[in-house]
Amino acid sequence: MSVQTAERQQAEVRDEKKERAEKVDYKMVTFSLAGKEYGIDIMNVKEIANAGRFTYVPNAAPFVRGVYNLRGDIISIIDLRVMFHLPAERKNDDAMESLLILRVDDHVFGVIVDNIDKVVGVSRAGIQPPHPIFGDINVKYIKGIIENQGKLFIILNVEKLFAVKSDDEQPEAAPVARAPLGAAVMAPQAVIDERTLAPVAGAAAAADVNAEFVRETLFAFKRFGVSAVNEAWFLTRYAEWKASRSEADVQLREVAEADEFLGPFYSPSTGALWSTEYADAVLAALPPLQSRSINVWNPGCGKGYETYSIACLLRRAYPEARIKIWANDSDLLAISMAPNMVFSPESVPEQYMDMMVKGRNGLTFNQSIRDSIFFEFHDVMNSNPVPPVDCILCRDTVSFLSTTDQNKLLADFGEKSKHGGAVILGTNERLPLDGWNRTSGELVSVYVREA
Amino acid sequence: MRVEYINPFVESAFNVMREVLQCDVKRGELYLKSTSMPVMGVAAIVGLAGDVEGRVLFDMDKPTALKIASTMNGEDLASLDDLAKATITELANMITAQAVTKLHELGFRFDLTPPAIFTGENMEVSNQDVEALIVPMETPQGKVEINVAVRERA
Repeated sequence: MSVQTAERQQAEVRDEKKERAEKVDYKMVTFSLAGKEYGIDIMNVKEIANAGRFTYVPNAAPFVRGVYNLRGDIISIIDLRVMFHLPAERKNDDAMESLLILRVDDHVFGVIVDNIDKVVGVSRAGIQPPHPIFGDINVKYIKGIIENQGKLFIILNVEKLFAVKSDDEQPEAAPVARAPLGAAVMAPQAVIDERTLAPVAGAAAAADVNAEFVRETLFAFKRFGVSAVNEAWFLTRYAEWKASRSEADVQLREVAEADEFLGPFYSPSTGALWSTEYADAVLAALPPLQSRSINVWNPGCGKGYETYSIACLLRRAYPEARIKIWANDSDLLAISMAPNMVFSPESVPEQYMDMMVKGRNGLTFNQSIRDSIFFEFHDVMNSNPVPPVDCILCRDTVSFLSTTDQNKLLADFGEKSKHGGAVILGTNERLPLDGWNRTSGELVSVYVREA
Repeated sequence: MRVEYINPFVESAFNVMREVLQCDVKRGELYLKSTSMPVMGVAAIVGLAGDVEGRVLFDMDKPTALKIASTMNGEDLASLDDLAKATITELANMITAQAVTKLHELGFRFDLTPPAIFTGENMEVSNQDVEALIVPMETPQGKVEINVAVRERA
C-alpha cells in the first residue's frame, strides 16, 4: 500500500517537472561573452545585426564604442565585454561585430557581444535567483540562471544595466552609460571584524602596562596605529625591545626612540627600487592576471619608488597588457618629484636598466612606463575615485593611520578590488579581512581575494 | 589630483595676481579638502573638460572682491556692480586660461567653460566624491582661495 503511494507521488513529481519544463512562457536571446552563455529577455531585443565602423565619440566612457547609424536612427554602441571587464578580442576597424539592438523604455542602443546564438524558450518558473558570489558580473545586473539542454544561461537584467536613472541605492550615478560603471565599483563589501581591528587591549597586552604606553606613544610620535594589521609584528617587536632594555627604559620617550622601535618594521626596498629578490617574490605571489588591461591602485606611494618597481614588474610579466597605475600620496613634497624622478646609474638595479632612458641629469624611466602611472596628490581618507582594480599595492601605509581610518581604507580595498584581485601589504602587515587568502611567504605579504 | 596639474595652477595664480594687482602676493600652504566648504561671499567658477573633468573656484569675501576690482580698474568702486563682477570673472578667466595653456604645453588637453560668478551670503559648495586642492593666496587686498577640483575621466 505504502509502496503504491510512494510510486504515485513520484509519478506526480515527474509530471509536474515535465509540465514545468514544457510550459514555455519566457523567451530569451542567447549569446556568449568570454566563453560563457548569457541570455537577454526577447522583449528587450529589437533586432540583431552585424555592424562595424562605429563612429568614435570623444570623452565617452571606455565601454562606449561609439555611435552607429541604424537606418537613420543614431544609436550608441556599448561593448558589454569592456563593461564587465572581460577579455575582448580586438578586431580591426573594418571587421563586423555581433550586435544586439536593445530597447529599454524609449531608448534604443546596440551592445556588442562575442557571438549571438539563438532564441531559447524556457519556463519562467525554472529561472533561479543568482548566487551572490558570481564572479565577473555584479549580481545586481543578473536576473537569474536557467538551465536549458544541459547548458546554463545567465539572464541579464537589462533594465538595471542600462537604467537611465538608477534608483535609490545610487544617488550619485549619472545618466545612461555612466551608471553601471559607478555601480560596478560597488562590489560586495568585505566585512571587517570591528573587534579585531579596534585598538586591542587584549589579554597578552593588558598584562603589561608599558606595552599600552608604547602603543600610544607610537601613534603620538609616528602616527603608527597598532591594530590587527600589525599586531603580530608589534607583539614580537615589543618582546624583543623589552628584552634589550632595562625595566625603567622600556617606554619611548622621544621621536628618535619611536623611530628606532619601528626600524625593523619597514618592508625591504623601502625608499628604493625593488631588489630582484623582492620583485620575484611579489610576482610569484600575484595571481595570474587574465585581462588585457591591468589596473593597479597604489595608495601611499611616497616618492614613487615602489610605483615604478611594480610598473616594471608588470610590464615585464605582461608585455602586451595595458597597465594603468593610480599612485597617490597626501605628502605633496614627496609625490611632487615622482613623475620626473631621475636616478643615478649606479643606484639602479640591473633588471630596470632596459626600461630606462638616459636624460640630461641621469636615468629616467621610459615613456611607456611613465605613461602607465598617474601620480596624484590625494588623501585616501577622501573618496577614492579609482576604477575597480586588479591589484592594490599599499606597503607600510595602512599601519600609519588611526585605527578608524584603517578600517575605512580596508573597507575601500574590498570595494575597489576585483574578484580574484590582489593586495600587497608591507612585509610585517597582515590583512584582517574575510574572503582573502594569503598567497606569499614571509618576504612579501600578498593576499588574493576569493573569486 | 594629478601631481602634474598642481604647479601650473599655483604658478599662474601667482603670476597673474601679481601682475594685475602690481603688488606682493604670498602663497599659503596647499592642502586637500573633500567635505563641503563655506564660500566667503564672492565666488567665480570656471569649468574644465577634456582629458579631465572638474572646476576651478575663486573664492573671496566681498570687501576683497571690491578692492581687487578697484585695483584692476584703477578706480574706486563703491559697490559690487556689473563692472566689478565682470572684473572678478575676468581675473578667474585669466588665471585658469594661463594654467590651461601651461598644461597644454605639457601635453594635457583641457577645455574651459565661460566663467560664472556667484555672490551672496552663507553659501556653501560641495562636490561629492571629488577632493579639492586649496591654494590660499594672501594679497594686500585680502585673502583669495583658489579651489581646484579636477579628476581624470574614468
